[in-house]
Amino acid sequence: MIAVLGLVVGVVAGLLVRPEVPAVVEPYLPIAVVAALDAVFGGVRAMLDGIFDDKVFVVSFLSNVVVAALIVFLGDKLGVGAQLSTGVVVVLGIRIFSNAAAIRRHVFRA
Amino acid sequence: MSEQNEHNEQPENRDKSDIPGGPDRPENRLRKELPEEVPARAPGPAPEPAAQESLTGRQRLVKGLWPPRVTRAQLIVALLLFGLGFGLAVQVASNSDSDSALRGARQEDLVRILDELDSRTQRLDDEKQGLEKQRQELQSSSDQAAEARKQTAEKEKQLGILAGTVAAQGPGITMTIEDTKGTVKADMLLDAIQELRAAGAEAIQVNGVRVVAGSYFTDSGKSVAVDGNKINAPYRFKVIGKPQDLEPALNIPGGVVQTLEKEQATATVEQSDKIVVDALRQAKRPDYARSSSQ
Repeated sequence: MIAVLGLVVGVVAGLLVRPEVPAVVEPYLPIAVVAALDAVFGGVRAMLDGIFDDKVFVVSFLSNVVVAALIVFLGDKLGVGAQLSTGVVVVLGIRIFSNAAAIRRHVFRA
Repeated sequence: MSEQNEHNEQPENRDKSDIPGGPDRPENRLRKELPEEVPARAPGPAPEPAAQESLTGRQRLVKGLWPPRVTRAQLIVALLLFGLGFGLAVQVASNSDSDSALRGARQEDLVRILDELDSRTQRLDDEKQGLEKQRQELQSSSDQAAEARKQTAEKEKQLGILAGTVAAQGPGITMTIEDTKGTVKADMLLDAIQELRAAGAEAIQVNGVRVVAGSYFTDSGKSVAVDGNKINAPYRFKVIGKPQDLEPALNIPGGVVQTLEKEQATATVEQSDKIVVDALRQAKRPDYARSSSQ
């Protein structure tokens, strides 16, 4: 419950504050958000499976974000930033879908 | 098939968010419910146990959601989710700003957009040049039309002076013929007019009657009629022309003035810098003659 509240408060704060995104992190923010979403879906699925662990969640969340940003950074340096970030989004999207399917199976039993 | 999938993905999921000795940690509230579950699920991946488990999974979700407990794990997860929500909102907000649509674009997209803008600018420039050229043409043609109109008006005035439809003014002479005895006849006046014309008179009026190309003089009793208008002595000629030509033309020996004096009439000629010929004549449309230039 506290976690859900945290999410809601974050969205509200982001909408209210509307900070200027620094140019340095600008290309990485969308990918980082998608990676974090993947981690959250994985965490929810783990909770439904009964194998949730906060330490693992924290580490996976942070490492997901860092690795996604790193890949985009590397891709930009190599000149294949667009393709690589598309690839990252595709992979993360697939994982989000499979996790969402597992969650759906738990919640709706279908 | 998706049952199978779920179980196949299980290890992968565990890699990410589950492994380290979680099941034995006493402070994790989820773990408390788990011990009955885990052994039940681990050995038998058959559909039957899975269904049972999903039920308990749902219960776990509800239990985790509803009585809100402030634990360290909840706080940390809340913090991370706060970050996620914040980043999400910021990204969405900055992306939906219309002017910053270009900010997130990649270099090659920007180059493409720039190219498109360049070619569009060029197209519009070409179009603008064409339109300006057209405008110039129209303007010059309308200038030409105005010039032609002006010239036509000028010509109309000149012709009007000849035809007697407009008033005229300029240097010239005034000739006054006193005829106390009634000896002046129409032919004498006609001689005077012809003499004046030969000397370059441009506009002539006699006692308020404009003399034009078709004017005629007739005797009418003791006086004279010009174009049917009776005029009486003294006959006052107002003539526009070069005074230095007109006066000698009248005064030459055996000319108009001497002839009149022989008939005991007196003629006086005065030069003037400003003669106004303001008697007018209606423009008459010829019945038969048509301009052949059209």
